[in-house]
This record gives sequence, structure tokens and C-alpha cells, in this order.
Amino acid sequence: MAYDAIKLIIDSDLNEISLVRDAIGELRSRVALSNALFYEIELCVVEAATNCIKHAYGGEKGHEVEIDIGVYGGRLIVHVCDTGEPMDIQVLERANASALEVDENALHLISEKGRGLPIMKAMMDRVLYERTGKKNCLTLIKDIGGFGPG
Amino acid sequence: MEIEQEKRGDVLVVRVLDNRLDAHCADEFREEMAGYVANGDRSIVLNLSRVDFVDSSGLGAIVALFKMMGQGSRLAVCGTKDAVTRLFKLTRMNKVFDMFDTERQAVHAFAQS
Repeated sequence: MAYDAIKLIIDSDLNEISLVRDAIGELRSRVALSNALFYEIELCVVEAATNCIKHAYGGEKGHEVEIDIGVYGGRLIVHVCDTGEPMDIQVLERANASALEVDENALHLISEKGRGLPIMKAMMDRVLYERTGKKNCLTLIKDIGGFGPG
Repeated sequence: MEIEQEKRGDVLVVRVLDNRLDAHCADEFREEMAGYVANGDRSIVLNLSRVDFVDSSGLGAIVALFKMMGQGSRLAVCGTKDAVTRLFKLTRMNKVFDMFDTERQAVHAFAQS
């Protein structure tokens, strides 16, 4: 089975988020990805890493965010991990497509936040969360079909 | 972040010159926009034609601008690239503010209304 993987560790600093793009770009040099798929993958990994920085570490620099990007037989699997505060699993369960709906009669009440997880769930096939010991990992899974090295 | 502004009649055109509107620059964008709103601008066309990447923080900053402007104000977004347009549609942002292909169309629409 074809296999390709990239590991990236960044500091919990929003200045380092652009490195995610470089890593996905590196993946693209090994695995054919359409522009649309490239954007979706980059966006979801950026959202996950940003959540680690903002929520798990409370915006504090000096902690590690670990990103593993792998393609296994046409399936993209990304693990984004931190050792900060765990996420309430109910937040992930509630983050479905309806969370992206807007009430057109009350646009002034629309929220500025809370779209990261629903976007990830809408764009990926599966989004899983697991805490093992002190390590929290969000896993993103996407069938990239014919685009993978498969 | 780099932003260019131009007054076209009553309409303020704001062009984002960076190629990313994400968590890294969302707060800075919000502060810049707050300045325009504080100056009394209530009709704003946001030109994102140079922006390749927007994340949920970037969307949140645009929503913040929309809310800062208040009811009765007008905010339009124009020039979004395909991937960014898909994100706006996925998150229903196209129902929150008007979207146009070009800056010219957006300014024209404001002038007509």
C-alpha cells in the first residue's frame, strides 16, 4: 500500500501557522491534489492547529503543536496534537452543519466565532478527538481517492 | 497587514493586499476596520481579490466588521477567488453580506441603492 507522511512540530505561536501551508505544499509535491482539495486540507489543518494554540494553550507561546500528515492508500489522515487543556468532546459533537446556518432575520446576532470545527466536519470525511495521557489529538480523515498515490 | 483604501463617493473601498486573512492577522484586520467605522464609514466594499486563503478567524473578523457597522449600514465583499467563495458559501456568509465578482459591480450596486 502506498504511503507518504510528513511530520511538523511548530511552536504555539500564530506566526508559525504559515508553516502548515509549507507542509501541505510539500505533500502536494509527492501526492497529486486538486486546488480545491489543497485548500480544504490546508484550511482544516490550520483550523486544528489554531485551536491548539488559542484554546489548548490559551494563546501562550512556548508549547509544541505536533502535526502528522499521512496518505495511506488514497486516504489522507492528519493528526494535530497538543499537551494543553483538553477540549470538551461535546463541543465537537455539536459542531455539525447546522452550526454554520445563519438566521437571516437576526443577522446582527450572528456569532464571530465557532466556525472552525463545523468547517472541519463539513470538509473532512471524519473528525475524531482523543486524549491519551496528557496528549490531545484531533484526527482528520479524508478520502482523496484518485488524487492519492494509491 | 497591508490594506489600501479608496473613497468612491459615499463608498469606502478597502482592498486587502495580503494573500492571507487568517488567525495570524485577524485581530489586526479587525482593528483597522474599527478605525474606518469610527470615522463614520457606513458603506464599505471589501475587495478580497488578492486573498488566496481565509480561515474561520478571518471570517470572524469580517463578521465583526459587519456587526460594528450596525444595522442600516452596507457591507459588500468582492473579488473572492473560487476556494474562498466556496468557504463563504459553506459558512453562509453570502447570506450575511452581498457578494460581487468585481469591485466595480459592488460600487455600482451601492450607488444604485
